[in-house]
Amino acid sequence: MRKPDSLSLLLFVRSWGIVILFALLWGAFSIWGFPIFGTFVNFSVILQGAAISTIFAAAIAMGVFSGVLDLSVPGTAALSSVLLAKCLLSGVPMWLSFVVAIAAAVVVGLFNSFFTLRGINPLAVTIGTLSITTGAAALITTGPPLYGFTPMDWLATNLYFGLPAMFYVALVIYIIGTVFLTQTRGGGRFMAAGGNAEALRRSGVNANLYKVLGFVLSAGLAGVAGIVTTAYTTQGNPAAATDSLFTGLTAVALSGISLAGGRGSLPKVMVGALVIAEITSILNIKNIQPFWGIVITGALLIGALYLEMTIQKQVSKRVVEAKNAERQASHLAETAAINIQKEAK
Amino acid sequence: MANTSEYALSLEGIDLYYGYVRALNNINLNVAPGECVALLGDNGAGKSTLLKVISGAHKPSHGTIKVHGKAVEFHNPKDSANAGIEMVYQDLALVDAQDTATNLLLGKEILRKGILGMLGFVDRKAMREEAKREVAQLGVKIDTLTRPVEMLSGGQRQGVALARSAVRVAKKAQGILLLDEPTAALGYEQKVMVEQMIKRMSANNIAVVLVTHDLPLAFSTADRMVVLNRSRKVADIATKDTTNDQIVGWITGARDSMENM
Ligand SMILES: Nc1ncnc2c1ncn2[C@@H]1O[C@H](COP(=O)(O)OP(=O)(O)OP(=O)(O)O)[C@@H](O)[C@H]1O
Ligand SMILES: [Mg+2]
Repeated sequence: MRKPDSLSLLLFVRSWGIVILFALLWGAFSIWGFPIFGTFVNFSVILQGAAISTIFAAAIAMGVFSGVLDLSVPGTAALSSVLLAKCLLSGVPMWLSFVVAIAAAVVVGLFNSFFTLRGINPLAVTIGTLSITTGAAALITTGPPLYGFTPMDWLATNLYFGLPAMFYVALVIYIIGTVFLTQTRGGGRFMAAGGNAEALRRSGVNANLYKVLGFVLSAGLAGVAGIVTTAYTTQGNPAAATDSLFTGLTAVALSGISLAGGRGSLPKVMVGALVIAEITSILNIKNIQPFWGIVITGALLIGALYLEMTIQKQVSKRVVEAKNAERQASHLAETAAINIQKEAK
Repeated sequence: MANTSEYALSLEGIDLYYGYVRALNNINLNVAPGECVALLGDNGAGKSTLLKVISGAHKPSHGTIKVHGKAVEFHNPKDSANAGIEMVYQDLALVDAQDTATNLLLGKEILRKGILGMLGFVDRKAMREEAKREVAQLGVKIDTLTRPVEMLSGGQRQGVALARSAVRVAKKAQGILLLDEPTAALGYEQKVMVEQMIKRMSANNIAVVLVTHDLPLAFSTADRMVVLNRSRKVADIATKDTTNDQIVGWITGARDSMENM
């Protein structure tokens, strides 16, 4: 009754499409960008270019998984960035400066969740917060970027085993995040809160706690992105990197989920971010205007969501067909049973 | 009226407003341990609302709830679960993207042993086995417990929701089970299973409140019938003292409300 072939093909595309796309682009660009693109050095360069946007993507993804699109991420990152720079310039020890930067981000997350849980639309809340944090960051620096503090190459461009430090930061985030989401009770409930918070609440779990966690993780990761950005650019820049929203969101969409919450996988988000980095790299190598990269990112975002919607519709249709067949079967069984009872009488 | 402490559950003067809409109007209801009460009424009569008040999903605007004679105040479903109450919701309250085992054990996840368990790592294998056991107990037919429940049939989904609450209430000392249309999507065989399950619950001294549009099911399982009509209780009568026609009359409003309720 089910059509296993076409259904499982659709599910396969949804599950593995992004990995296939990455591999296909890698092959095609290696030929097109020969001999530069396919080298290990270029791979390392791609990872360096992708690191920050990958961390931003994790921040956006955590929000989306928990059921909200956190638009304040770039502002939070800018705030963390200038706070870190300001602390370092004032002679605060480095570890404490990091703590300050992350703590500020966590406060932003709590702020967002406070107003969202009271019923204000999260898009409106996080846009408001984006404005507040960007303004606050500029007030702290009084305008121009802050620089002149101790370089932090060990966190940014230094190579370990041929790969840049900042990529390892992203990698650690993704590994811890994936273990949390897939292996722990908290992670399962976190996803459930994004999918059906009311069901979680009715199962006796404090669902709001996990909603708050979504905002806090999103903001905290934005803070990390701000720190790495500061280390990489050697300045505390109050200008919010709003393009990080585009790439982050596109990476999440490329991972094959609708933005409805409750589903998703971090490793695929990472591959999504790497796909965008691949494209940026080939444009660079071929000397094509980087603005094309921005155009392509937007097109990928919409295209990926459109594809996901089409697949979801197909899947639902198949499942409904299967359910109808089943219902018909049970109806038949019922009629048969009634007939048997009648005959018995 | 009998001493209220004999009852597993007793509601006194429950009112509930959705904004300006009065969904429950001064409802009184008593359920004894081991008793099954069928809560009947037309669409929009207030049946689901009443069950949600008992399960702590909604807070009543007025009135008291007593569980085994003790007045309680539920702020959320966790409070009611702690008092021994479990509910199968009409909308099933499943997390679509997650599999059967995760849904069955939502809020009751099984952790690994040792240090990983302390860190909150779940034991998926144990959860799958537990889920398999629970599902088999109810006779729900689900071949793959690892599939997201959005890909199950309507009847299978209902089976998952039923199994979740049935297993939880059976573990409680003096449980109360609230069922909101538990058989709406079920086939013949499964419906019989649920009927037997309800009887088993009653035999084990669990108080059951069953909301259903299926009058034959109500007559075969319930000791008492309570009918709601447009937010009011219009009938409360022992099953043996009433007939199908009477009940239909109360449901449609063709028959006058019983007096002195
Ligand atoms: N969340 C809500 N917000 C506002 N009004 C609601 C809400 N839920 C239910 N109502 C209203 O309360 C009344 C009672 O609804 P309820 O769901 O309890 O009916 P019911 O008896 O369970 O009906 P059905 O047999 O269709 O399930 C209806 O008029 C409904 O429109
Ligand atoms: Mg209802």
